[in-house]
Amino acid sequence: MTAAPNIIAGTPPTRCGLGFDRIALLAAPGLSFLALFYAIPLALLLFQSLRGPEGGFGIANYVSFFSEPFNIGVLMRTLRVALLTTLLSLIIAYPTAIAMNRARGVWLTVFLVAMVLPMSLGVVVKAFAWSILFRANGALNQIMQAIGLTDGPVRMLFTETALVIGAANVFLPFMVLPIYAVLQQQKASLADAAASLGAGPFFRFFHVALPLTLPGIVAGAAFVFSLSVSMYVIPSLIVGETQQNLPMLIARSFLYLRNEELGSTISAILLIIAIAVVLGSTWLAARLGAKE
Amino acid sequence: MMTSLTRRTLLKGSAAAAVGTLAMPAILRAQSAELVIGCAGSHTAWMEEIVVPHMKEVIGADILFEGTKSSVNLEKMSSNRDRPYLSVVQMDDPVMIQAVEEDLLAPMDATSVPNLTDLRDGTVHMDGMWANYVQPWAGVAYNSSMRDGVTSWGDLWAPESKGRVIIPSLQNTEGMWTLFAAAMLGSGKPFSEAQYEIDAAFAKLEELKPNVLTTYSVMSQAFNLLEQGEITMLAGNFSSYTLPRKAEGVPVDLAAPSEGIFAMPSGICLVKGGPNTELAAAYVNEMLGAGLQKEIATFASSVPANTKVDAGDLVPSGVPILSPDWSFVAANRQAWIERFDKLMAV
Repeated sequence: MTAAPNIIAGTPPTRCGLGFDRIALLAAPGLSFLALFYAIPLALLLFQSLRGPEGGFGIANYVSFFSEPFNIGVLMRTLRVALLTTLLSLIIAYPTAIAMNRARGVWLTVFLVAMVLPMSLGVVVKAFAWSILFRANGALNQIMQAIGLTDGPVRMLFTETALVIGAANVFLPFMVLPIYAVLQQQKASLADAAASLGAGPFFRFFHVALPLTLPGIVAGAAFVFSLSVSMYVIPSLIVGETQQNLPMLIARSFLYLRNEELGSTISAILLIIAIAVVLGSTWLAARLGAKE
Repeated sequence: MMTSLTRRTLLKGSAAAAVGTLAMPAILRAQSAELVIGCAGSHTAWMEEIVVPHMKEVIGADILFEGTKSSVNLEKMSSNRDRPYLSVVQMDDPVMIQAVEEDLLAPMDATSVPNLTDLRDGTVHMDGMWANYVQPWAGVAYNSSMRDGVTSWGDLWAPESKGRVIIPSLQNTEGMWTLFAAAMLGSGKPFSEAQYEIDAAFAKLEELKPNVLTTYSVMSQAFNLLEQGEITMLAGNFSSYTLPRKAEGVPVDLAAPSEGIFAMPSGICLVKGGPNTELAAAYVNEMLGAGLQKEIATFASSVPANTKVDAGDLVPSGVPILSPDWSFVAANRQAWIERFDKLMAV
């Protein structure tokens, strides 16, 4: 096994006496920014969530949160919607990424623009557009009736299905691009080699192509799940107040109930979910990477 | 290329510095003529069309306004209490009570705001902490191409309206109207007593659930669904929003149900320690003046607070105008919001 090549060819590593690589200092601005505007506020949030009503410290706020069935329902809905959004995104994204990997010239440009351009459009605009499509007299209902799928308008707006479809649309690029990046690193000859050994299309896909793209799938799933679990604008516009998720509960706690302890507690729970997703996906990606 | 310092360049530099120094107060003056106003999102139309140009012309102020919910304005004031950036806030009475309790408002008097003396009785609250300026009336908005009208608040509960009604969340002040209507219908008592029958109100609201497509905290989307015919009725909407849309030819109208309509408690206040105190007071004075009141009241079909302005036929006759006990609302609102959210959750 050879050592990893230095990123700047011909430049020796700039290490200090204790083995510290001075190139690492390049991360200082980013780390400082994150520490100041992310880590410290989060630490304050955690501190607030552990503060009791009488000024002491403890987990009373967490006990209070989890003893309320309404909150459990909201937590479960948040996780369920995030999971379904991730699955739907994956189902749409995987073939898209394969097509992008095969595309050349102008088609590749079209694919990349189609992926990246919608990201410049505001989430509010996209969510509102979906709320128009999902109406009783909206395009989706008209198409379903025109092709004979339904006899009359089906209620889609303010349903969980609509939310999952809308969210998957918004977050799709975050699933496609990591898978595409992994596919780009694969050698096209691998599939040919498997075929020459007698492997059929299904065997080649499930035993060669899919395992090699798993790190991309894990990265994309981590992105989409994290974004879905913390989305606020999309559910506000597509399902409204009757189907609240954790971020909507946070906003309600801080802005309307003016209950900072409750808002901080829910924020901390959301943070724990995010950390679990990041650590889990990192571990899984490392494991899958090691198997390659 | 090196440039040596000559007498000419030195004079040029000095002249530039002098011009810069002289110009500075003008820049500072220009900056100090800016006022940041917190108001409701539904105020946007008349703030842009009437208030912003008026204030520029009369008091020379550049108005920046942030349209959001009253409770969000309260949170902004509370979070920035050490360095307030809002000078004036226009929000609803129950939230004004909370703001007074949190010591966020500066009292107004006839010296700084002379037009206070021209206001109707009952429109200046808590020794000048805030005043009502114009009061839209609230009823039930409906799609006029799908219904002939709404005669009673009870029409919201009619079986034929299943899934065709949207009601505001209690996070929004207009959400209170459906709650109080439910209290009247559920308890069978007159409004003066029914407004305290909150258990009866929630029991009646539970019966409304099959008809409720959703509840909203952002009104514009819900109103759009009414315009498009996705729903037939939008409970608790108010004249300053529905009637200008009707005047534009949109098939919506605002009904005054027989049980009564509600006076929206639109208040205006000075933020304690807010920037540009004198200009802020001048803004409030103009908002309470007869000229601007007439323009806003006409645009928003609202009742002016200034007695020198004729209300005309801006409010429907023949139905009682109801105004709740706001201190009772302010004391219980947070608990009601939690109860409402749990009740309406799917």
